[in-house]
Amino acid sequence: MSWTAVAKKDFQDALRSRAIWAISVVFILLSVVIAYVYGSFSADELGIEEKTAERLVFFLASNITLFVSITALVIAYKSIAGERESGSLKILLSLPHTRRDVLVGKVLGRGAVLAIPVVVALAIGAAVGSALIGAVAAQALLALLVVSVLFTFAYVSVIVGLSAMTESTTRASMLTIGFLVLFRFLWGVVSIGTVWASNGFSIPDTLPDWIFVVNQIPPSGAYTTLLYALVPGQTGNAADIDAFYGTPWLGAVVLLFWLVVPAAIGYRRFSKADL
Amino acid sequence: MAAIDVSDVTKQFGGVTALQNLDLTVEEGEVFGFLGPNGAGKSTTIDILLDHVRPTAGSAQVFGMDAQNQSVAVRERTGVLPEGYGPLGQMTARTHVEFALQAKRVDGDPLALLDRVGIAEVSHRRVVDFSKGMKQRLMLAMALAGEPDLLILDEPTTGLDPNGARAMREIVQEEADRGATVFFSSHILEQVEAVCDRVGILNQGHLTAVDTIDGLREAAGATGQVQVSMDTVPDGLVETIEGLDGVTSVSITDGTLTAGCENRAKGAVVHRCYEAGTVEDIETSETSLEDLFVSYTGGGA
Repeated sequence: MSWTAVAKKDFQDALRSRAIWAISVVFILLSVVIAYVYGSFSADELGIEEKTAERLVFFLASNITLFVSITALVIAYKSIAGERESGSLKILLSLPHTRRDVLVGKVLGRGAVLAIPVVVALAIGAAVGSALIGAVAAQALLALLVVSVLFTFAYVSVIVGLSAMTESTTRASMLTIGFLVLFRFLWGVVSIGTVWASNGFSIPDTLPDWIFVVNQIPPSGAYTTLLYALVPGQTGNAADIDAFYGTPWLGAVVLLFWLVVPAAIGYRRFSKADL
Repeated sequence: MAAIDVSDVTKQFGGVTALQNLDLTVEEGEVFGFLGPNGAGKSTTIDILLDHVRPTAGSAQVFGMDAQNQSVAVRERTGVLPEGYGPLGQMTARTHVEFALQAKRVDGDPLALLDRVGIAEVSHRRVVDFSKGMKQRLMLAMALAGEPDLLILDEPTTGLDPNGARAMREIVQEEADRGATVFFSSHILEQVEAVCDRVGILNQGHLTAVDTIDGLREAAGATGQVQVSMDTVPDGLVETIEGLDGVTSVSITDGTLTAGCENRAKGAVVHRCYEAGTVEDIETSETSLEDLFVSYTGGGA
């Protein structure tokens, strides 16, 4: 299993980067601030019906998707394209590693680099928040950690997969920024645009059920939805939909899709390329 | 079985032909010098052996294994010093050698390998701070990890000072004595002359010659020359010497007679000059390797 060696090297190299440490500190502080706000303010002030230990999970989760998506892009967009461009890949691939080892190793190595600060920040935030409100929702917090780690690896996998499709870091940056902009910032427009176009170019009075599926397509949408599946007593808006896809588990399917499919497509192109 | 067997390989990048119907065989245990000017296709050939690049047509085998379909097996038996490699990473020299040993799935002493290439004292330093020569030595240590049956060294003396280049040649010799096959590319003929059993000269994607260096000299018709300095060059001496068997050209500049000739005719040339007048000095030389190289590559070097 030679991808473990590649992953380990990639991980160790990244630990030497000051930027990743700085980002981690910022993220931990942010998590503590969110936990403190949740613990100190009243339900009215927070704009929620009831302040429960379970709701803390969603507050902590609120900054995960933005933090992970931007950081994943920064640390992984060059993971393959950059090493092809600079020639570092020739060192790795002169040793008996396969290109699949390299790609899987990069996903796991860089995924771990990002997953660790995510887990640490969430754990600290959960401890602070739980202490302040005097209640612990253990299962909900565990779900938060698991889903956040899955989301982190899925996002890193997408970025590494995109990076594997090209030998130019410029093109890799355009592909990955394009992905982030489309699925993170423009998806609301795409979603409502789809409804508008399918309804004869006008907005209907009630949104169709299938819009729920469209909204799960971005990794961040799937992340929140999957949390609803795992946090006890929370259903989200999947419960309002009377169709086979009206389940928060759809989030798990979508996250697995992002974990596997872009990386597989990237691998196909990378495996055929001349270095 | 041949260590390397390249069979009718053509490689095109876009519309540009890098290699054209290349046939090349390197026997086991041989030290083979792969020569050619920059851009001749040397690195492309090596990239095909390592499956970094796929041939447009033809196939390559290493120890009888297909370079494309059995690439990992090929690379398990091969130590590589690539050319134009990028940054090495953030780790120490020692960690890098450990990484290579681990990839080859062999036990080995990283410090001993670093000592062999002369950088054991910096084993705990991070390689980002290394000079080009130190990086080159580290890459050689990584290539030597696990006593590979085949060493592929692409322009290995790049960035090395003369001491480093000599150390590199000594290591190549030691590896050959151990029984390893060494495939050594260079654009400088002098570097391969001392260590290589045979050389192949690649020019514009074609293999223009494969032979021993002596054989190349002979085949190119390149011979040598003898220069005789005299106080005065007597009349008629030029004609006498031109008449000698094995002499191809005679010229005189500033009291020095220069005869282009086969080595066996040099004695006769000097003898006739000595008989005819006062000889002040004699110089004799073989065709320079540079001339030889230029004669095969059309001055493209």
